[in-house]
Amino acid sequence: MAGVVLDDLTKRYDGGALAVDKLNLDIKDGEFVCLVGPSGCGKTTALRMIAGLEEISSGQVRIGDRVVNNLPPRDRDIAMVFQSYALYPHMSVRDNMAFGLQLRKTPKADIDKAVVEAARILDLERFLDRKPGQLSGGQRQRVALGRAIVREPAVFLMDEPLSNLDAKLRVQTRAEIARMHTRLEATMIYVTHDQVEAMTMGDRIAVINEGVLQQAGTPKDLYELPQNRFVAGFIGSPSMNFIDLKVSQDGGAVRLTGEGAEMRPDDTESALLRDLGLDTVAVGFRPEHLDVAPLSGPGLSVTVVVDVVEFLGNDELIHGSSAGRDVVAIINADNTLAVGESVTLSAPPRRLHLFNPTTGLRITKDGPPADGVAHLVSTG
Amino acid sequence: MSVQTASLPVATQPQKQRFRVRPSRIVLNVVLAAVAIFWLVPSIGIAIISLRPNSAFEQSGWWTVFTAPAQLTFHNYQQLFSAGFKPGGVLDALTTSIAVTVPVTILVTVISSLTAYSLVFGRWRGRTAVFLLIVAMLVLPLQMALIPVASLYKIFDNSTGLHLFGSVIGTIVFHVAFGLPFGIFLMRNFYSGIPHDLLEAGRIDGAGEWTLFRKVVMPIGIPALASLAIFQFIWVWNDLLVALIFLSGNPHQTLTLFLYGQVRALSSNYWVISTGAMISIVIPLIVFFAFQRYFVRGVLAGAVK
Repeated sequence: MAGVVLDDLTKRYDGGALAVDKLNLDIKDGEFVCLVGPSGCGKTTALRMIAGLEEISSGQVRIGDRVVNNLPPRDRDIAMVFQSYALYPHMSVRDNMAFGLQLRKTPKADIDKAVVEAARILDLERFLDRKPGQLSGGQRQRVALGRAIVREPAVFLMDEPLSNLDAKLRVQTRAEIARMHTRLEATMIYVTHDQVEAMTMGDRIAVINEGVLQQAGTPKDLYELPQNRFVAGFIGSPSMNFIDLKVSQDGGAVRLTGEGAEMRPDDTESALLRDLGLDTVAVGFRPEHLDVAPLSGPGLSVTVVVDVVEFLGNDELIHGSSAGRDVVAIINADNTLAVGESVTLSAPPRRLHLFNPTTGLRITKDGPPADGVAHLVSTG
Repeated sequence: MSVQTASLPVATQPQKQRFRVRPSRIVLNVVLAAVAIFWLVPSIGIAIISLRPNSAFEQSGWWTVFTAPAQLTFHNYQQLFSAGFKPGGVLDALTTSIAVTVPVTILVTVISSLTAYSLVFGRWRGRTAVFLLIVAMLVLPLQMALIPVASLYKIFDNSTGLHLFGSVIGTIVFHVAFGLPFGIFLMRNFYSGIPHDLLEAGRIDGAGEWTLFRKVVMPIGIPALASLAIFQFIWVWNDLLVALIFLSGNPHQTLTLFLYGQVRALSSNYWVISTGAMISIVIPLIVFFAFQRYFVRGVLAGAVK
């Protein structure tokens, strides 16, 4: 078992394209970290650099206390699970799992024991003598997990292992991986584009966009204190609403208005906005924090015309528009709203997120980060 | 779907239905049988000629055997084999053919497979250019190269004192050189279909390049390798032109040269030619049936995916 440290990890392709830009991350021994971001954000490239499948342009990868930059994959004490399973099609399930141990010249009795144990954990005992071609997608991915387990590596790397599975199997295998993590207490680095997967599985999540780490923290941190607009919009489903509001001072009180919305900041926010002296502020609020009620006291209210109502059982998902801007809200199904109706929604101050509209960074009482990097420091 | 699953419902149907054959199917089978027989006539004719006494050849056609089967005899075979392994005999020719064809087949499959691996999975610059160059070589007619390569061999022989020209090894080298472009082309295209993830999984499992080639890529490539081996074997086995030039002066001849030698006489020895031809068919047939199951499996594997 070992932790993994990424130190200014950078990947620049021959053409000059920057895939990963100075990624810093300190993954502790036994931690489950999810790298999440949209397609092409560099998360898989980062994982492949840790695995040794991709050359490192600059920076360092340390596994345990070793710098592994120049070590081949086999000497890094890692195992990897691929999106495509990557099982050897000509070998039985047993041989697929045993292959790595055979190459390491492990005694045959030990190999058999490890394979049978892994098969038992993953419920694959009946399939040991089958070829991958005779298995379903879920079973194949379990074999891929088994192949990783038997090696007892210091670090497990997983590259979107659930993407090729259907919805039901995905939930099952997700639980399987979570159980595996608890049982093995191994360090796991898990790449996904699915923020729900990241939120449910990760001890800590690192959000990456365009090769740059946006924020690393616990799921709760990312949800409640997104450090910039990208993280705010990426984490949470449906994603956060944003409205640009103009800042005006009416006597002593600070007022924010625009796009059919109005915000009355509380005292700390008022002081903050006065100090910053911004003309406009982007306000973010999550659909699930909106209520059908007029505003009493500080907070945000927004009047929308209902476009679509989706019934979810207990709740209703409302798609509305306010001055041309889409607003999504999840409200209690008891509020029977009709399409075309105009309704005022509100959110309390502690559910509002203020962002600088030009830099996209969170406005907090600690002030915005001095440079683009300070806010990337782990909050977990 | 595969043939296996398609035939399942038929097997579970009641006995009566199994024998109900549609008329269109009968017609189809008759036509196919007719084509097959038509195709086989020359081979059957040669087989029968080889089994009739030489004197009968000049008196009546081989088809008379169907009304008078008593004329069939193994005499021709006995006579050919009685020469033993002396140079100029059929057994010597058979040995020489095997001595040329087997090494060529092995070398071409192994070298093609290794080169294709490097072209597909290697990480060096100019792989595409090298591959295109190899494809370009496919266009080069073998006949054009015969004389220049023969002169090259002579120059080599004169400067080193070795005897490449007119030797079995010289012939093998020529065949391998001309078999490789197609072999590399075939194997490269087959290996291109193997996902790179598989090799990366192997690298993480601890395999070096050689192990990856032997344990992961080669076993997957067996259908293509079997096809290549069959093609290569039959081409070289049936070759006359290359052997005629590069084995000239050698007392050991290949089977094709041996048969060709019989044609050149004023009146051809038909009994020798027919008997020799039958002997020369046997080995490729054995090779074909030995590799056939891989061949068929390869075709199916592509269809099911």
